[in-house]
Amino acid sequence: MRAFVFTDKALERYAGRFVWLSVDTENSKNADFLKKYPINVWPTMLVVDPAKERVTLRYAGGATVGQLSKLLDQAQSKTKSPADDALAHADRLANEGKNPDAAKEYERALSAAPKGWKPLGRAAEGLMMALTMTNASEPCATRAEELYPRLRGTLSGANVAAYGLSCAADLPAEHTQRAALLASLEKATRASLDDKTIDMSGDDRSGLYESLVSARKAAKDEEGAKTVAEQWAAFLEGEAKRAKTAEQRAVYDSHRITAYLDLGTPEKALPMLEQSERDFPTDYNPPARLGLIYRTMKKYDEALAAYDRALKLAYGPRKIGILRGRADTLLAKGDKEAAKETMRDAIAYAKSLPSGQVSERMIGALEKRLQTM
Amino acid sequence: MRKTILILTLLSLAPLARAKEVLPFIDNDYATAVARAKTKHVPLFVDAWAPW
Repeated sequence: MRAFVFTDKALERYAGRFVWLSVDTENSKNADFLKKYPINVWPTMLVVDPAKERVTLRYAGGATVGQLSKLLDQAQSKTKSPADDALAHADRLANEGKNPDAAKEYERALSAAPKGWKPLGRAAEGLMMALTMTNASEPCATRAEELYPRLRGTLSGANVAAYGLSCAADLPAEHTQRAALLASLEKATRASLDDKTIDMSGDDRSGLYESLVSARKAAKDEEGAKTVAEQWAAFLEGEAKRAKTAEQRAVYDSHRITAYLDLGTPEKALPMLEQSERDFPTDYNPPARLGLIYRTMKKYDEALAAYDRALKLAYGPRKIGILRGRADTLLAKGDKEAAKETMRDAIAYAKSLPSGQVSERMIGALEKRLQTM
Repeated sequence: MRKTILILTLLSLAPLARAKEVLPFIDNDYATAVARAKTKHVPLFVDAWAPW
């Protein structure tokens, strides 16, 4: 969003119609904000009524300039139907983490939707997200299959298909509808990917490829998964090559890592990450990612050096993950005591974060990990 | 899309540095932003992101 969307002059006309707030959820300055508006999907966009300090619109995920324009227009629309009211209520419930209730309200919005209702796609995506967050895989996959024909040819249709496909892949192998849902939603996701008329960002397309890989894996088709992962990696390399700025190129680093790991070729990530570390010397992400890649390649000394460079730059909850990566590397290297010491550092650091940034559950998981070392 | 849900994974849909923006974002200061929105009688738009 920040590299591709918020820089677009087409959005200038909205500048005075909202007050704009950027929240880095890793920054401890935002701990109080996060207590009031918990964020568990990145990025998340909110529109807030400042008088009541209440969410009136919530969208989880990235958007193109065209989609963001539509969201902003919807946020300021004066006409409110019962479907609009149900959608706004659903967004508020989702913001409060009440996902089962939010799912019911998204359903109510979809049922009440008048013909040509503009937020139909957003309501369907909200429903998918709420069902995903409650691990309701069966209703998620089933509703995706039912909703897709109403949304075919739109970004929301693509996202609904991909959400549904991931949910179908999560169904237990013995589920009687699993194979049929996988086949139907895989077809819908592939059709969305191949539809060049859909206004879709590179990372949206990347998400579709990822869902298709997970579907092939769920079908125990390793060769098929590899073929899709190869297409995915080629797509991402093309996008990175076309990027106009270093920021835009680096957006694809994390996606490319996942594709290369799926292909069993982690070493392919090294040149781009080394480039990103040179381009962004104050960013902890490139060295942290290098740590993972070297660890996967069993080059433990290089991995530890990379993690240590990342730790000098890291802040917020992500630092915990980097410490965990360092501990796992030490363990793989055979240095159990040093691994335990790093885990203890991770726990102490996690306990020092404000409550909006770390949960008791996360601290418990770290302590459990230390005990099993 | 699904990947955005996973917490503390490597995946990031956010870029790595602040590019030139056409919208006048206030950084990491909810109190100032909400007060300004109240005064101007306009809604507050929030972009919640993470650098990873």
